[in-house]
Amino acid sequence: MAILDKNLSLRNRNKILVGVWEDEDALVDAAHALVDKGIHIHDIYTPYPVHGLDRIIGVKRSKLARVAFLCGLTGLILMVTMIWYMYVIDWPINIGNKPVRFTPSWIPVMFEGTVLCTAYGMGFFFFWRNRMLFAVKNDLLDDRQTDDRLVVAIETVEGMNEAEVVELMKSKGAVETKEFQAVCK
Amino acid sequence: MIHDSLIRERLVTGDKTAADVTRDISRPILNQPSSAWKVGFTLSIVFLAIFGISLFYTIWTGIGVWNINKSVMWGWDITNFVFWVGIGHAGTLISAVLLLFRQKWRMSINRSAEAMTIFAVICAAMFPVFHMGRVWVGYWALPLPNAFGSLWVNYNSPLLWDVFAISTYFSVSLLFWYIGLIPDIATIRDKVKTKGAKYWYNFFAMGWTGSTRTWARYELVSLILAGLSTPLVLSVHTIVSTDFATSVIPGWHTTIFPPYFVAGAIFSGFGMVATLLVVARKVMNYENYITIGHLEAMTKIIMVTGTLVGIAYITEFFIAWYSGVPEEQYAFLNRAFGPYWWAYWSMMSCNLIAPQVFWFKWARTTPWFIFIMSIVVNVGMWFERFVIIVTSLHRDYLPSSWVMYAGSLTEIGLFLGTFGIFFTCFFLFAKFLPVINMAEVKSILRNRE
Repeated sequence: MAILDKNLSLRNRNKILVGVWEDEDALVDAAHALVDKGIHIHDIYTPYPVHGLDRIIGVKRSKLARVAFLCGLTGLILMVTMIWYMYVIDWPINIGNKPVRFTPSWIPVMFEGTVLCTAYGMGFFFFWRNRMLFAVKNDLLDDRQTDDRLVVAIETVEGMNEAEVVELMKSKGAVETKEFQAVCK
Repeated sequence: MIHDSLIRERLVTGDKTAADVTRDISRPILNQPSSAWKVGFTLSIVFLAIFGISLFYTIWTGIGVWNINKSVMWGWDITNFVFWVGIGHAGTLISAVLLLFRQKWRMSINRSAEAMTIFAVICAAMFPVFHMGRVWVGYWALPLPNAFGSLWVNYNSPLLWDVFAISTYFSVSLLFWYIGLIPDIATIRDKVKTKGAKYWYNFFAMGWTGSTRTWARYELVSLILAGLSTPLVLSVHTIVSTDFATSVIPGWHTTIFPPYFVAGAIFSGFGMVATLLVVARKVMNYENYITIGHLEAMTKIIMVTGTLVGIAYITEFFIAWYSGVPEEQYAFLNRAFGPYWWAYWSMMSCNLIAPQVFWFKWARTTPWFIFIMSIVVNVGMWFERFVIIVTSLHRDYLPSSWVMYAGSLTEIGLFLGTFGIFFTCFFLFAKFLPVINMAEVKSILRNRE
């Protein structure tokens, strides 16, 4: 599976039908209605998280939790290896004949290393998967989609009755409908 | 079907819409700074200068300019370190623990509390770093090969655990804060007009569009980060407490330290959050977002944690007597009735007795009173650390080593100076970033059941 989510870019796509809502409940109803009609919603852009939308438009549950677990495991192994190398292999110190292997005093550093690797590893894959990088520019379908408007994007496909889709969006409370075609560089 | 709650009190008052939230919260960023901001910022810079001068004098002349000595080898420095780390903890508690408990009232205050965490940890880190004396070899605290001049670091030492704990805590808090900021930075990006501002907000917004796919992952990541931060914040102050508890100094060598320190940290942190927010909500006109309900919830936490800390003080005293160890008994009697009695009783009255006023609704809902109480809490918690550190050290095992200790002008300057660092960072944050999490607040405008 490619890590980068290609759905997030609006470049190199067919014309996109855009519907703009100002009310969250109306949008959820509209999304249901569109999906029921067999229309594939490409994405919905909202200024705040609207719970359940991802399921409606068919976004699969993210695997980031598993990634986080693996990153944490890596961190733990790294830390154990580090302490083992320094304390047991490279420079063992005899402190009153006390054991040097896996004493409880290793735990804090092992724990902190695990947490650090989990957080940053997961963060790294989160940014990668979401196509997020400093200074990346993405197309906005509406000037206010990060402010107060909720925007539905439907990619046109051959045989789609565009007028019907637009009409459905309007009847379900869209305050504005428009078309969007990304300019390819 | 989702319904609007009829009985639950609204978290955001004033019938705000999403557009109102954007307008209100981005106002300080989009407009010229207010005169209150300018005055506050200038004052912070003055304190920052005091820090710079004191630090320069410390490094240039040597650690001898502090009044610490062979008996009291930790004085104001480690007191201040624990004080600042403790303050930082409320930020993580609000953003992580309250997220796990689905406490939605946290949404108006988590951003500033997290910012506070980061700035407080920066202030805290100054003290152990410069207490090393020869700060230019400070990198010896890192696990570097022997060829760098030191042996491998000592994994049995809580001071090393601190190096890992504080740096992890700072890094993870920073990531948590930044990920939380991205949607709001994008909102600002789409509002600013000047070219420079557009560039920088676009730079840090990382191409955020508010896609449902991204939001779904974002929420998952926030949840996992909250799940990570919760044990992390407990571990950090536990480790700070083991700096003391693993020693054999009477008064430090107690197993109650970790929970007692964590409770104290949350207590002092909420004190600082209350100090900042009571002022910020007034000056920045955020009374509809940080409502009396928010202040009341915070005061309840202050009261509970203050009482927990108080119980810990009393338990310590009881255990010292019950242990039958004369050194322990002496250490505690000396704390309460020895030469530093004033510090002990300041601590007791500020931390245990004073917060009990929050049993009264008037006290919980009157902002100016909460502000005063929050200062009392902060003073009390500073004294707590001072009491723990100085009273335990100033009576050494040999009476010939008994000394008295008071911070030198440089130490006082460094402490006051860290307020300069803290508030300079906070004022810059309030000018350039949204103080309230706009995206989260927009999601709770409707009073859902």
